[in-house]
Amino acid sequence: MARPMGSVRLKKANPSTLILGAVLCIFIIIFLVSPSSPASASRLSIVSAQHHLSPPTSPYQSPRSGAVQGPPPVTRYNLNKVTVTSDPVRNQEHILILTPMARFYQEYWDNLLRLNYPHELITLGFILPKTKEGNQATSMLQKQIQKTQNHGPEKDRFKSIIILRQDFDPAVVSQDESERHKLANQKARREVMAKARNSLLFTTLGPSTSWVLWLDADIVETAPTLIQDLASHDKPIIVANCFQKYYDPESKKMAERPYDFNSWQDSETALKMAEQMGPDDILLEGYAELATYRTLLAYMSTPGGSKDLVVPLDGVGGTALLVKADVHRDGAMFPPFAFYHLIESEGFAKMAKRLGWQPYGLPNYKVYHYNE
Amino acid sequence: MQEHAYASIMMPRHHSSGFSNGYPRADTFEISPHRFQPRATLPPHRKRKRTAIRVGIAVVVILVLVLWCGQPKSVASLISLGILSGYDDLKLETVRYYDLSNVQGTARGWEREERILLCVPLRDAEQHLPMFFSHLKNFTYPHNLIDLAFLVSDSKDHTLESLTEHLEAIQADPDPKQPYGEISIIEKDFGQKVNQDVESRHGFAAQASRRKLMAQARNWLLSAALRPYHSWVYWRDVDVETAPFTILEDLMRHNKDVIVPNVWRPLPDWLGGEQPYDLNSWQESETALALADTLDEDAVIVEGYAEYATWRPHLAYLRDPYGDPDMEMEIDGVGGVSILAKAKVFRAGVHFPAFSFEKHAETEGFGKMAKRMRFSVVGLPHYTIWHLYEPSVDDIKHMEEMERERIAREKEEEERKKKEAQIKEEFGDANSQWEQDKQQMQDLKLQDRGSDKEAAGLNQGAAAKAAGAIEGQKN
Repeated sequence: MARPMGSVRLKKANPSTLILGAVLCIFIIIFLVSPSSPASASRLSIVSAQHHLSPPTSPYQSPRSGAVQGPPPVTRYNLNKVTVTSDPVRNQEHILILTPMARFYQEYWDNLLRLNYPHELITLGFILPKTKEGNQATSMLQKQIQKTQNHGPEKDRFKSIIILRQDFDPAVVSQDESERHKLANQKARREVMAKARNSLLFTTLGPSTSWVLWLDADIVETAPTLIQDLASHDKPIIVANCFQKYYDPESKKMAERPYDFNSWQDSETALKMAEQMGPDDILLEGYAELATYRTLLAYMSTPGGSKDLVVPLDGVGGTALLVKADVHRDGAMFPPFAFYHLIESEGFAKMAKRLGWQPYGLPNYKVYHYNE
Repeated sequence: MQEHAYASIMMPRHHSSGFSNGYPRADTFEISPHRFQPRATLPPHRKRKRTAIRVGIAVVVILVLVLWCGQPKSVASLISLGILSGYDDLKLETVRYYDLSNVQGTARGWEREERILLCVPLRDAEQHLPMFFSHLKNFTYPHNLIDLAFLVSDSKDHTLESLTEHLEAIQADPDPKQPYGEISIIEKDFGQKVNQDVESRHGFAAQASRRKLMAQARNWLLSAALRPYHSWVYWRDVDVETAPFTILEDLMRHNKDVIVPNVWRPLPDWLGGEQPYDLNSWQESETALALADTLDEDAVIVEGYAEYATWRPHLAYLRDPYGDPDMEMEIDGVGGVSILAKAKVFRAGVHFPAFSFEKHAETEGFGKMAKRMRFSVVGLPHYTIWHLYEPSVDDIKHMEEMERERIAREKEEEERKKKEAQIKEEFGDANSQWEQDKQQMQDLKLQDRGSDKEAAGLNQGAAAKAAGAIEGQKN
């Protein structure tokens, strides 16, 4: 015959057992209830959206599986209140860091994590080609993102991250440095680059971004204060000087050399050359075949010169370029065609000038390119 | 023994059914503990009560302890087994992944669930909103696949409030087919001094700067609202009066990168009943290209003004009301009343130049830039939508003139009628006089006949004379 258990047990229970049970219960409940990472939600929930149909520059709260989600809310964005000032940290200005990526460099990611602009104000945007190399870079990037966003320290986590796969074929199969820089390949390569930049820019800009920082995937060393430093000049478009560190076999130590030649001031020669060109021809910098005699930002750097020296420019490179979002919102983009015989970032500078925004450069403020 | 007794009280039926073979035995009443047993413990109902109290106390203590530790929300969710838990417990998604090759835009987008971004720039447009929302309700393209984006700039009326009300109503519609996708209202003032009334809007001198400001507004709207999941972008003016409900599918079917319908407007009868409205959709001409070369870098050629005679073939003038609505025409400049474009066009960087791009700005410059990037730009000459007719100042003057004329005519008519009535009164009623005379004549005739019989024709001449006299009197 079955015995009614409950009464039997209780009868034999002794107060010390009961207390032990209660204490265990409390521990279990506290363990169940306490959040695994305290305050992670509260820090980001201020800026998060309620629906997946929302600007990708903010995170969103995903509904529980099976929950029926109603239609998205009517959301008002007042762009009159989006400020762009020389003190972006104090004014809590949101920044979008955009990177077209073909190869993933761990140094790039580490450098990104070192930036000391508040990470909860930073949105990252990446665009990668749909090639074998692109797939590889994507998986490496995703691994690092997973590590930072889910398991990394709270202060390292970024507000939101957007990964895009581009919808057009890359022009040059090889990303090798020698192949990439051949003059014949340049136009097609930069056309694709311009399209990638535009795709990335116009799908991620959203209604709350104040600044856009273009940072190439092969920039591996910058000052941690890069964003604050560039923004402090309060210029619509400002570019840092891109150098490359290398091992000098003559002096037997590390040295640096100019790398990006796309930032320049125009010359009479270049303008005359452009006049004689066909409508679809482009002028390129840094090739002996096209001697333009432009004043290059790369060579304006002087040892020991002031880091705050600002010079006006007519063409800019996209390696480390800070742009006020207003410039892009007005329509300034990276022309994937010959715009005044200029293409991509150089064409962007020209288009911005046509819209009334003057680009500037910092000859003595350096960022460093990866060396293969 | 003791326990056995307790069990018998708990489940008395055990005894009757306690036999394994199920047969009731003859000696059913032979229950083994069938003797008096003193109660050593509490009766079971009291025991249960005491247990309940003990458990209750334990639970309260635990609760107090946990609450004291300060996690009230999560405790609530734990107790309610997560049923009551709000958004706070949900997972934050910070990483989004999109493959842009999935959002290229195809001819039958509604089957592939392609999302459309519908962009509407607004300024002082409160009065047009009810009409616009009636169009919105009727779109046959699945509403949940359409994201709406409005730019409200420099408005002095209640455009913003009215718009928000309309949108909230449509999102709360009980019909699940009505609510739209993401809805963004972008507020941005450009501080423009250009007036929006019809006269100043269409004056030649104001065109270039007006078009540049319009372009700026369109670019701000698009750059804030375009997302990586959009396949199409549809630009629609708020003051379209009549358009087919299926316009999105109709334009999409052509599978072109940029496509526009023909835009006309209805007119009052005295102005000819109808008129081409949008003259910004055109094909480039040699004359215009030659003209462009002579102009200053910042000059903007605007179509539809005598100042720039371009001799371009306009989409609007090629309309045949009975023509094939599917007929396509390659164009170079496009009008902005209703543009359907693939999102990839905008992703590639095509926008509405707020500067002089190849001597054009805004939508015309957009068409030019799309062509420059080798996208297909097409117009449908025989597929027409109708823009609202807003009378111009001249039209209003003319209409006032016509109204005055009409009143004058009516007055004249009235006076004429009055005069007639007066004449009638003065000269009496001629009709009744006629009747009387007729009667009299007939009477006379009858009399004549009677006298004929009597006088046997002797008085014939006299009678004729009398009749003649009557006739004469009548005349």
